[in-house]
Amino acid sequence: MNAPAASALPARREGLWSKALHKFSRDRAGLISLVIVLLYTIVALGVWAGLWATEWADVTGTKWMPVSSEYWFGTNLIGQDIFQRTLYSTRTAFEVGLVVAVLATAVGALLGAVAGFFSGSWIDEIALWLMGVLDSIPFYLFVAAIAFALQDNPYAMHVAMISTFWTTVARLVRGEVIKLKSLEYVEAAHAIGVPEITIIFRHILPNTFHILLVQGTITFVAAIKSEVILSFLGLGVKDGMSWGLMIAESTLEVMAGFFNNFLAASVFLFVLVMAFNMFSDALQDALDPKKV
Amino acid sequence: MHSRHIFRVLLVVVALQTAACGGDGPAGSSESIAGLKVYRHAMDQAPSTLDPVQASNIYANHVALNAYDTLFSYKYLARPYTLKPNLAAGFPEISEDELTYTIRIKQGVRFVDDPAFPDGKGRELVASDFVYSIKRQFDPAQLPNGTWLWIGRIVGLDAWKEAGSDYSVEVEGLRALDDYTIRIELKRPYPQLLDTFAQGYSAIVPREAVEYYGKEFASHPVGSGPFKVISYDTAKIVFERNKYYRQEPVDIWYEGYDPETQAYTGVEAIDGRSPPFIDRLEIDFIGEDAARWNSFTKGNEVQFTVLPNEQVDQVLSSKHPVTFKPEYAEKYNGYDVVEAGFVFNAFNMDHPEFGYRDDPVEDHRNKLLRCALIKAWDWQARNESFYFGLAKIYPGIIPPVVPEYDPDLSRDSVIRDVAESKRLLAEGGWTKENLPEFVYGSTSGIKTRLFFEQIRSWFKEVGYPPEKMKHKQYATFGDLSKAWRNSELPYVAKAWGLDYPDAENTLQLFYGPNGTPGSNDANYKNPQYDALYEQSAVMRSSPERTRIYRKMNRLVIDDCVAQTGLSRTRIFMWHKNVIALPDRQIVGGFFLKYVDLKTDDADQAQVN
Repeated sequence: MNAPAASALPARREGLWSKALHKFSRDRAGLISLVIVLLYTIVALGVWAGLWATEWADVTGTKWMPVSSEYWFGTNLIGQDIFQRTLYSTRTAFEVGLVVAVLATAVGALLGAVAGFFSGSWIDEIALWLMGVLDSIPFYLFVAAIAFALQDNPYAMHVAMISTFWTTVARLVRGEVIKLKSLEYVEAAHAIGVPEITIIFRHILPNTFHILLVQGTITFVAAIKSEVILSFLGLGVKDGMSWGLMIAESTLEVMAGFFNNFLAASVFLFVLVMAFNMFSDALQDALDPKKV
Repeated sequence: MHSRHIFRVLLVVVALQTAACGGDGPAGSSESIAGLKVYRHAMDQAPSTLDPVQASNIYANHVALNAYDTLFSYKYLARPYTLKPNLAAGFPEISEDELTYTIRIKQGVRFVDDPAFPDGKGRELVASDFVYSIKRQFDPAQLPNGTWLWIGRIVGLDAWKEAGSDYSVEVEGLRALDDYTIRIELKRPYPQLLDTFAQGYSAIVPREAVEYYGKEFASHPVGSGPFKVISYDTAKIVFERNKYYRQEPVDIWYEGYDPETQAYTGVEAIDGRSPPFIDRLEIDFIGEDAARWNSFTKGNEVQFTVLPNEQVDQVLSSKHPVTFKPEYAEKYNGYDVVEAGFVFNAFNMDHPEFGYRDDPVEDHRNKLLRCALIKAWDWQARNESFYFGLAKIYPGIIPPVVPEYDPDLSRDSVIRDVAESKRLLAEGGWTKENLPEFVYGSTSGIKTRLFFEQIRSWFKEVGYPPEKMKHKQYATFGDLSKAWRNSELPYVAKAWGLDYPDAENTLQLFYGPNGTPGSNDANYKNPQYDALYEQSAVMRSSPERTRIYRKMNRLVIDDCVAQTGLSRTRIFMWHKNVIALPDRQIVGGFFLKYVDLKTDDADQAQVN
């Protein structure tokens, strides 16, 4: 009598998510990177909640004050606190990363799933054509064009990134859906008359979630890096502060031998991107069905 | 076998790289062209055009003046700046009522050889060329930028434009009496007229070339100036000496030479010789300060630069007075000069949020608001942050470079006073809730962004809510200028470079009839000011005119129209082997024809 129960228990433990969690928890680099990402998240949430970096825009000191107990990273050209600006930029990075990652992943999942499910049809053709067209436009030119078209819109950068980043997600999801739709459980759903829309979104798409999760983290990092580059070029953050803007500010300073803006922004960006990449790798390893 | 192949490939790569580094080509260095004296100048921006009719900025003006001639120019070494005849044979005969000018031009001056002329041979420049060149400023088809200098001034010229700008029709007040005589008739006296004929706008062009090249004329100058353009792109322009340029020995004493302050430049060496002294003039357009500075200090590239702000602390041993550290003084010549112009911010008086209101009570409240924001402004901090404390801060709109500047004027309007600012806001009944949105327009860029953040912080301190302060960024300066001209912005932050050394050139910025789309972006309209302006506009320089100018200056300060002003200090640096006193403002591009290189270097060039 107990035999079936005993055999059912290991089957539950061997599920993709539980196995992945187990594997991730044994990945030391993955865990360290997760802690770092969580620290950054706390910093970003604190800024968002108004707990710190509230005076990031104020001129509280004088030009290029050195590192001190009052100004941990010194002050910039006009006497603003570089430490506060660095913390505030974390919020900007997370805001952009999160918005772009969520929306680009959602759009990619949606269009990729539909294209994959109807592969070979005109719907698939159109989706592939659209992806091909968007991928063929140089990214920074595309952003410049959108920024120009949307004038002063603070979300021009977000729109540009979402418009281009979804294609990678869509290609991966499309491939996965093509594989999944030929599986027996999908054929069974067809056989009992489940509507196609339900099959796509209820039975197939949830099974691509591990791809979306990994791709979402990759998009998150890509969005942060792009935001910094775009802000440096003057195409990014319109109102607020960003590591990219801090690096752009440093172009007025490094010739005079003042590197605080440059170092603060670069180190914060480097550590976050590094940690997120490692976290993303660890997640990918943990969720890879072949390895699991 | 395999490693030997790799070694060979590496050898070839190294050899190619060495060749690439070693030989910069003909334009690579001042020693690279055997037997020629080559001077390499540097500018921080390329001119957008070389056509005098559109030479509206310092860069176009600077470059165009080397290819073209103007009737007058400024003495090379004299300070304050002094006008002198250039292509004109002498100063004009002026009628007693100061309405008729007769100007004789030099004979035998010819344009450079160019395919635009029959057989490609440049012809003689005559008086009708000058008439044609000024008429172009009144021909809308030429997209002129300099019309404002003569609009409403010369008899018949405005009507000629209204009638369709037909060049075959003579203008009554602008005629060539013969090949060498020009007659100008004015509607009313215009004391600055001769100064306008020293501007790039009035440079003399041959009609054949304008018609031959069409739009390409903007990049294909054909003039009678000291140099002839042989190549031009956005990175560099290369001139060669104009072999037809008239022989006129330099008299350095006439040019204003002061041995006490200018002996170090070595300009005594050019006395009695006819310019140009160099065979080839190259101007590199290097936008990045760091790149320009590196090129300058490399030794064999550009030989002139304006000291970048970021290098001030590294290069100077003292700022007041400006002195170089020994290692720089040993290698370079240099001097500092307060710019001929100023930086200022004006409220757009046409915007009801800050400007004029029909209701006197509201009008007074707005004035209190403007005065409060002027008191909140911190020129000293702006100077320290962005100009390394080298700029000159002064009240009003008459900059120190002109003789009408008043050093004794009260400095109250340029001293920050937070308490007074708050008091004025309170007196006007201004609160966080009812203060209007403050829009700061600028070109996009990190520096303008910091400008805005600094202002936002100053205003926040006196109670202006940061969320009510907006930064509107424009992709280009052209877009921003358009917004100013269309009176779109409530606040105008700009810099003005003097066209000629007369305070009239800045006072006209606040003259009512010059309101947008004219140069009075502030749309300041004060009948008393306008009357004084009109009164002084026909007066020659005199104590009486200076008194009127200063009164107008006072009105602008008292009406709280603008936060003003600041004149930046430029520090010019050039290599020791260059004989020159560089300038980039009033004398501008005129100085380049006087540049010479020390003989040792010329000999060295021949050896190389």
